[in-house]
Amino acid sequence: MNGVIQGGWEFVIAAYTITGLAFVIYGISLIVRLKELRKHD
Amino acid sequence: MKSRVPYVFLALGAALLLFGSYWGLFIAPAEQYMGNVQRIMYVHVPTAWSWMLAILWAFGCAIAFLSTSNMKWDSRMEAGVEVGVLLAFMLCCQGAIWAKPTWGVWWDWDPRLTSVAVLLVASLGIMALRSFVDDPHRRAIWSAVATIIASVDLPIVYFSVKWWNSLHQQQSTPNTVSSAFYIPLRVNAFGVLFLMIGFIWLRTRVAALRLRQETAIPHGYEEAGELA
Repeated sequence: MNGVIQGGWEFVIAAYTITGLAFVIYGISLIVRLKELRKHD
Repeated sequence: MKSRVPYVFLALGAALLLFGSYWGLFIAPAEQYMGNVQRIMYVHVPTAWSWMLAILWAFGCAIAFLSTSNMKWDSRMEAGVEVGVLLAFMLCCQGAIWAKPTWGVWWDWDPRLTSVAVLLVASLGIMALRSFVDDPHRRAIWSAVATIIASVDLPIVYFSVKWWNSLHQQQSTPNTVSSAFYIPLRVNAFGVLFLMIGFIWLRTRVAALRLRQETAIPHGYEEAGELA
C-alpha cells in the first residue's frame, strides 16, 4: 500500500466505451429521425 | 439542399476525440496518486464543459424565443435541452466510474453531483413537458420558462465545489492540471465541443421538420380554409 491506485484500466475502458457508444448511438438516432421526417415531408 | 456543415462538425469532432483519447490513453503519463484511473478526465472534463455550453445555449434560445416569439428559437432550444440530457447522462456515468476507485462509492450526495443530477432531471422534465402539450405555441412558451428556471441550477453546479466542502475536486484549469495532461484534455475538449455543435444543429433540423409537419394544413383542407 503506497497510496497510489493500482490497475484501474477496467474503469478507464468502461468510461471510454460508454462515451463512444453514447455518441455513436445518439448520432445514428438523429440521422434515422431526420430521414424518417424527410420521407414524410 | 441542406448544408453539410453539421456533418463536417461531427466528423471533425470524432477525429479530434479519437486523436485526443489515443494521446490520453497511451501517450500521457499516469497521474501520481490516481494512476491510470485519472485518464477518465480526458473524456469527463470535456463532457462537463460541453454540457454546460449546451445548457447555456438552451437558456439563450429560451430568452430569444420569449423576446421574439420566433419558433426557430424553440426548435434550437429543444435541441439544446436534448443534447444537454445526453451529455449530463454521460457525465454522471463517467463520474460514477471515476468515483468508485477513487472515493470508494459509485455515487455520493455531494453538492456537485447532486446539482448535476437536479439539472439532468429538470431537463428530462422539460422534454416530458414538451411531449405532453399539443399546441406548439403554448408548448414553446411553457418549455422556455421551464428552461430558464432549470438553468438557474447551472451556476450552482459550477460554483458548488467552491461554495461547499465537496468531495469533488475543484474545476480543472491550466492552474490545476499538470502540463503533461494539457494536450489530450484540450484536443478532446474541442472534439466534444464540435460533436455537441453538430448534434445540436441536426437536432434543430429534426425539431423544425416536426414542427412544420405538425402545423401543416392537411391535404385537401386548403380550399375549405379559403372558402371559410
